[in-house]
Amino acid sequence: MTGLVAHGFPEQPVRRRARHGVAALFPDAGGYGSALFGSLFGAQDTAGDDPLESARLVPPVFMPNRLEKLIELGREPTYRDVDLSTVIGALRSPLPVYVSAFGSTRAAGHELGLAVSRQAASLGLPMVIGENVVPVNGFGRDSGPAGRSLLSRLRAYAAEADDVTGGVVVQQSTEDADAEVWQLVYGDPSTQRLLDSGRLAFELKLGQGAKPGLGGMTLVDQAAARRLADRYALEELLDSGSDADAGSGSGSGSAALLRCGTPGTFTAEILAQQIRFMRNNFPRVRIWVKLHPGRDVAEAATVARAAGADAVTVDGAEGGTGWAPSAFLGHVGLPLHECLRRLGPDRPGLLVSGRMWEGTRAVKCMALGATAVGLGRAAMLAADEDPAAGLVRLVRCLELEMRMLISALGQYAPAALSPHDVWNPAGSPADRTPELQGVAP
Amino acid sequence: MTRGPMPELRDHLTSPVTRAALTVQGQVLACAREFLTAAGFMELQAPIIGPVTDPGGRGAKPADVDLYGSRYKLMTSAILYKQASLLMFDKIFFISPCVRLEPLETAATDRHLVEFHQIDVEMAGASRDEAVELAQNLLRHVVTRTASLRPDALETLGRDPGAFAGYGEGDFDRMTHAEAVRTLHAIGHDSQQADSEIDWPGEAKLSAKAARPFFIVDYPKGSRGFYDRESETEPGVLRNFDLIAPEGYGELASGSERESGYRRVVARIRESGENPAKYQWYLDLLRTGVPASAGFGLGLERLTRYVAGLDAVWQASAYPKLPGTATP
Repeated sequence: MTGLVAHGFPEQPVRRRARHGVAALFPDAGGYGSALFGSLFGAQDTAGDDPLESARLVPPVFMPNRLEKLIELGREPTYRDVDLSTVIGALRSPLPVYVSAFGSTRAAGHELGLAVSRQAASLGLPMVIGENVVPVNGFGRDSGPAGRSLLSRLRAYAAEADDVTGGVVVQQSTEDADAEVWQLVYGDPSTQRLLDSGRLAFELKLGQGAKPGLGGMTLVDQAAARRLADRYALEELLDSGSDADAGSGSGSGSAALLRCGTPGTFTAEILAQQIRFMRNNFPRVRIWVKLHPGRDVAEAATVARAAGADAVTVDGAEGGTGWAPSAFLGHVGLPLHECLRRLGPDRPGLLVSGRMWEGTRAVKCMALGATAVGLGRAAMLAADEDPAAGLVRLVRCLELEMRMLISALGQYAPAALSPHDVWNPAGSPADRTPELQGVAP
Repeated sequence: MTRGPMPELRDHLTSPVTRAALTVQGQVLACAREFLTAAGFMELQAPIIGPVTDPGGRGAKPADVDLYGSRYKLMTSAILYKQASLLMFDKIFFISPCVRLEPLETAATDRHLVEFHQIDVEMAGASRDEAVELAQNLLRHVVTRTASLRPDALETLGRDPGAFAGYGEGDFDRMTHAEAVRTLHAIGHDSQQADSEIDWPGEAKLSAKAARPFFIVDYPKGSRGFYDRESETEPGVLRNFDLIAPEGYGELASGSERESGYRRVVARIRESGENPAKYQWYLDLLRTGVPASAGFGLGLERLTRYVAGLDAVWQASAYPKLPGTATP
């Protein structure tokens, strides 16, 4: 366990699950039979006025699909009969969960990236390797500490994976294009097994949830800054030795410059052509597109799918591993709930991320149209809590919760969920969106 | 065609097949120079390294060179310098060395080398159709002259001189990319996508069906580099072409009318996913104007393979480098 912290994120509940597994889903077993349990007054881990958090999952009384399952099975179905297996952006997965990218900050460096890779692979979950890993940390074949490089993460994943489920998704943003990340990965001998089994994907990154409209930002030390000076804008906004690392979590105190990437310029035509270019140049990979929570998120998702993207990922404006201006964290970008409302329920291949760690938020998102959810900070914290099995335990918790929640709604597969399964309390912003109120007045 | 692994270097260099193949190649080059020089083209020496090169396509990666601390590239093609050279002469050609770190799956196509050469031609003020006509006449001249001047080498290689009997005088056939896709679908090659490059197996099938070289024109945007000009009357269609050899030998040359307007080129660079900043020297020239042009690059080793009737393109190089292997 390192000094990794995640302000504004339910860090301690995630760490409890990563440490104790499914026992952490329930009250202390020692109190069973003697204590009384009821609703907490106000959810313990909610994020302020996030309408996804204040919404509730609402099981009906009458459940025709449960009857169908009963007939199929010849017995009463249980939560264990929920089939969570799915296809995430053309990659098979045992759960509607993937590990989303974490960036080039120190928080994601060192052994943590490898621990997440190994555990994601053993779970069979697709994993995104993210932004600027190469320009900052180096591509394994060329340079940089091996433990931090893209190739070592790829190899760690491949060593634990079977040849059927999961896969690796390599992200590239505008700066990464200069480093030719995709060409490197596509032609490297170590990725051929993933390519041959159809489990390599490339994700075109248009933006991110933490700072929509801006490029990637990380704090770097003077030596790294000199190396990166010809490729990035650098801001000397911190005095050397100040509390520069509070957000990136490394606590080393030596980072003193803000490295600012460009976000890249996109129009509908540029996005469509870039996707076609990816399909043309890398015909054996799956294509993912990551959108920031922009106000035209629905139009952008439509353009991406029409041009041939296998998945569109929407990162809600809820944070990330990169360094972001506080103004953006609090005031810029659509909340994930509003993204889902604008996208509407009929969006095959829609993936969402942003504050994901437990079952209710995941199931609400799937009921509102997502195919799967991405674990970002939660995956990092879990692997930080226990590099051997923290993420595995966290995901087992998520799996059990999803099974229980989906079966409680009278459904036995995530795809059967609908906006009717979600109720928004009166007065919440989401309550003004009749199509998502779910329960008829 | 029978294929085996590449032989040891000594065996390759002393093989009569290599000697005959490179004899054909020498003649091909001499004939190309003869034709182009007579047509008023100036031969220039191609740059080998630069701060940026042709971003290319199909997953090939440029090789990096550390130039006193700056990251330079070995040329994947000389396209940017070809356009710039028109500021000196209206008609130019290079015999350009090129290096492309091709995806590993291309090692088995018999048509890919990491290191190869192009007969790179560019002419100011020309249209796509004029470039097509020039490519056709150049190929016809090179093939028929080489066949008549080097029958001994072709005989050593077992190449039937009758393979070129159908060249005749008329224009080579042309089909549009859309027609090529329809043809492939009609013969059961369903994997070919309408908005992508013709895939390797599809190209081989079209090539095998043909008795003479032919052109595929009008590729869709997204399948080619930013310098292939987009049609003004048919948005999404490029004013470009490939020259395809018959008998299954496949693509010999790619060419196009070029984008030369600064604004259009910047937008096209973004459409290919790149940061225009790295093309600074090229964009600076475009801002102040370079001539509109058309041209093509004709692969020397592929052309040699076709004329000599070789099983694989590596036989047309003394020191062949195949994708994924490290050889002398």
